[in-house]
Amino acid sequence: MSESNSAGMFSGRKSEGLVLVVDDEPDVRKVVRMTLEKSGYTVLEAEDGEKAIAEMKKDENSLLLSLIITDIRMPNMNGIDVINYYRKEWPSVPLIVLTGFPDMDMATSMLQHGIADYLVKPVEAEKLRSSVSKTLEKREVHGF
Amino acid sequence: MNNTDQTNIVILGAGKGGTALLDLFTRLPGVTVVGISDQNPAAPALEYAKRLNIPITQDPVQLIRHPGTHLIVNVTGDPDINEQVNTHKHPETEMLGGAASKVLWDLVQDESQMQAQLFQAEKLAGMGTFASGIAHDINNPLYILLAFSENILEETDLPTIHKQARSIIAAGKRIQSISQKITQYTRAAKVQDAVSINVNSTLDEALNIAQFATMLQDISIIRNYEDNLEVLANSEELFQVFVNLMTNAIHAMEGKGTLTVTSYHEDSFGKISIADTGSGIPDENLSKIFEPFFTTKPKGEGTGLGLHNARAIIKKYRGDLSVESTIRQGTTFVIELPYATSK
Ligand SMILES: Nc1ncnc2c1ncn2[C@@H]1O[C@H](COP(=O)(O)OP(=O)(O)OP(=O)(O)O)[C@@H](O)[C@H]1O
Ligand SMILES: [Mg+2]
Repeated sequence: MSESNSAGMFSGRKSEGLVLVVDDEPDVRKVVRMTLEKSGYTVLEAEDGEKAIAEMKKDENSLLLSLIITDIRMPNMNGIDVINYYRKEWPSVPLIVLTGFPDMDMATSMLQHGIADYLVKPVEAEKLRSSVSKTLEKREVHGF
Repeated sequence: MNNTDQTNIVILGAGKGGTALLDLFTRLPGVTVVGISDQNPAAPALEYAKRLNIPITQDPVQLIRHPGTHLIVNVTGDPDINEQVNTHKHPETEMLGGAASKVLWDLVQDESQMQAQLFQAEKLAGMGTFASGIAHDINNPLYILLAFSENILEETDLPTIHKQARSIIAAGKRIQSISQKITQYTRAAKVQDAVSINVNSTLDEALNIAQFATMLQDISIIRNYEDNLEVLANSEELFQVFVNLMTNAIHAMEGKGTLTVTSYHEDSFGKISIADTGSGIPDENLSKIFEPFFTTKPKGEGTGLGLHNARAIIKKYRGDLSVESTIRQGTTFVIELPYATSK
C-alpha cells in the first residue's frame, strides 16, 4: 500500500481516476484510500477543506481531480457549507458525502444540492467502490 | 345571581374560532361558558362542547337572551348576528364581535401553535443531539474497525497486518469508552443511598489521578480546604465528577497554569470549587457545555459527556453545578451539595 501523498499519475499502471478524500480522522482516510486503491484509483488525502485546496494546488492535481469524498463535519464548517465550499473551488467535480450521521433530512437536502451520493459510515467496501464508479461513469457520459 | 368573581360567557359560532375560544375559556379559572351556538349542527365546537357538558343550540337568540351573561363573543363572521345581539341582549351584557373577536381568536390560535412548535423543538433538541451524537461518535471507529478487519482477511504483508490490528484495537477502545460513559448512568447509585462523604479526602484521591495528566507539565496545585467538610452523595460518583472537572481544567491550561481546589460551606450547602487559569469558555459555548456530546476536543479525544454526566450526578443529589468563565483568564466550576453536619 502506498503511503505517498502524491498523485503519481505518470508512474506505474494507469489510474482509474484521482480521488480526494477529506476527513479529519487519519484512520478513516486510510480506510478509504485502501479500499479505492484496490480498484486502481489514485487517492489523495486532506484533513479539512483548506488543506484539500492546498493539496490540489500542488502539481497538476487540480486538472486531474475526478471526485471528492468528504465528511461534512469539519472544524470550522458544517453541512451544506462544506458542499458550497468545494463547489466554489471546483464547480464541476462531483462530491460524495461520507459521514457518521445517519440523517435522512440532511441526506435529502444534500442530494438536492447536487451531491452524487450520501454514504453513512460504516460503509461496505463494495458499496463505496460502486458509488465511486457510478459517479465517475455518469461524469463521463455527461461530459462535465 | 351575579357573582362578581365569575364571568359568564356565551360563544356564538362553533367553527375554528369557536373551538379555539372554547378551549381557551374552559381552561381559564373564573370563567364559565354558559353555552355555544351554531346554525350548522355539525360545527366542530358543538361536538366538543357536548363532551364538556356545555349547553349547545342552533338558535343564537336563545343564548343571546340568556340571563346573567357578562360577555357574548361573536365569531360567526355573520353581520346579521351583530344586529340580533343588539336587539335581544340584556343591557348589562357586553359584546365582543367583528374585528375584536377575530384578533382574540387569532391570538389564541397563534399561542397554541407556538406551544406545539416549542414542544417539538425541545423534544428534538434532547433526542436529536443525543441520538445523532452517539451514532456519529460510534460510526467512525466502527468503520475503521470493520474495514481493517476485512482487509486483514486477505492482507499478506505482516507489518501492514500489525499496523491495522493496532488501529482496530484503538477503534474498539474508543467504542468501549463511549459505551462506558453512557452507561455510567444505568449503573449509577440511587439518591436514597446518599451517605455523608468526606469531601477533602475524595478531592485528594481525585487530584492523585488528575496529577498523572500534569506530570510533565508546569501546573501548580493549590488546596484550600475547610476542615471536616461533609456532603450527602455517593463517593464513587462524586469522585468521578471531581476527576472530570479536574481533567477538563488541566486540559484547558495546555501545560501551564494553576489549579485551585477549594472546599467550604454556605448555609445548608457544602461547596467545592475547581478553578483553572486556562483558555476560558467563549460565551457562545457556555450554554452548550452541559449538553451531551458537546466537545471542542479533536475527534477521538473527547466524548463530550464529562460535564453532562457530572451535572446529572450532582442534580440527582439535589445539588447544582455552575460555571463562570473569562476568556483567556480561566474557568471556575462550583459544585453545591446538601451539607451533612460534620462530626
Ligand atoms: N475548565 C474548562 N476550561 C475551558 N473549557 C472547558 C473546561 N471544561 C470544559 N470545557 C469545554 O466544555 C467542553 C465539554 O466538556 P466535557 O467534559 O463535557 O467533554 P470533553 O472534556 O470535551 O470530553 P471528555 O470529558 O469525554 O474527555 C470541552 O470540550 C471544552 O470545550
Ligand atoms: Mg471532559
